[in-house]
Amino acid sequence: MRFLCVACDEPMKLAEAGPPDGGGSLTAVFACARCGHRIAMLTNPWETEMVTSLGIRIGPAGEAEAGASRCPFSGVVRELEAEAEAGADGVAWTAAALARLENIPEFVRPMARQGVEHYARSHGHSEIDERVLDEARQRFGM
Amino acid sequence: MRTYFDLSGDGGSGILAQVEAQRREIAAALAGVRRLVAVASGTGGVGKSTLTMGLAQALRRRGGEVAILDADFNGPTQARLAGLEATPWLPDGRGLALPRRRDGIGVVSLGSVLAAAAPMEFRALARGDGHVWRATREFTLLGQLLAAVAWGALDVLLVDLPPGAERTVHYAEYLAGCGPEVAFVLVTIPSDLSRGVVARSITALRATPCRLLGYVENMAGYRCRGCGEVRPLFPAATIPLDAPLLGAVPFDPELAALCDRGWPAAAPEAAGAGVAAALDALDDVAGSLLPALETAR
Repeated sequence: MRFLCVACDEPMKLAEAGPPDGGGSLTAVFACARCGHRIAMLTNPWETEMVTSLGIRIGPAGEAEAGASRCPFSGVVRELEAEAEAGADGVAWTAAALARLENIPEFVRPMARQGVEHYARSHGHSEIDERVLDEARQRFGM
Repeated sequence: MRTYFDLSGDGGSGILAQVEAQRREIAAALAGVRRLVAVASGTGGVGKSTLTMGLAQALRRRGGEVAILDADFNGPTQARLAGLEATPWLPDGRGLALPRRRDGIGVVSLGSVLAAAAPMEFRALARGDGHVWRATREFTLLGQLLAAVAWGALDVLLVDLPPGAERTVHYAEYLAGCGPEVAFVLVTIPSDLSRGVVARSITALRATPCRLLGYVENMAGYRCRGCGEVRPLFPAATIPLDAPLLGAVPFDPELAALCDRGWPAAAPEAAGAGVAAALDALDDVAGSLLPALETAR
């Protein structure tokens, strides 16, 4: 999908994009670089779902790299991660172990996290560090 | 006024660039995979997943480095077949460590991380219309798994696909852009019902960039325990299949029972002749598969 400023016959650029609201609508603002005219694209929940199903980030170029993800999908995953944290029963992660977990794609990260925490709890570890991760990998022959 | 194709770029959304980046990540993760072999079937219930595991083991016995990706997200059975239901997914230095059976076969299956009887669900913004986007999400998840797992050096990565002639083609289109050469093996049973759908898949696959190695006939009779004869389970099929027959694997109830407890690393000593016959047949399939894989298109 591309947007054209009819008055200038110029392609419009994405200026800002917000996460979906409670109803699942996503707002993306496009602006004409020549005349400054701005429009807002408001998606319906089905359109939002189609775009986010691709597992991509939506936002002006560079924002994702700057850590300011506008990806509704990421938001959904953060919910799952929060659930995983809430269910951790006091099992803490060291920064180094967490860094390893961060290498796993967002969607499968909560599943991996739950698996590791289950292993830690069942083996009497109160903290998950790199040693516990290596121990679990050895235990399961990976 | 200019039209869509008069404009260049995506207006800064970066969507196409991100999709391309995803593809590059998949190709990088699969850089050590020599062959990607998708195992598909026209209809469900023909024993495709069981045959995939048996084929993996037969290839392993021939010295190959083999792994299975269970792409049947709605009915993941490879974890159970592999005996890896309770094996968590663990991070390695780069992504997910490859879970392995004791015999060295790597198996990535949602069955390892989803609770028994739990359906594969995605959080959705648009409630009640999953049919609109579900397939896209499943392909995205497939791509994420392909890119995330530390596959290492593999001779063959078997991809156990969900059943369905139309889905087989969708997966062929998707996998063709993942990096390694992709070949397909179709699984049927000796019934016209199953062969008819597989015939459609054969025709459809010919129009994709993927190679079709041939088909395997599963449940090709059973060995009578009384007289030792192999007898048919189905009436003689009449629908021809325009692809090489890679082998025929007889059904054996004892092997089916063994599979429910996890595919055995080797035929148990006390196993009957039916188990040995099925395993021998799988070895023959592996023996047909390897030269076919090495043959240039």
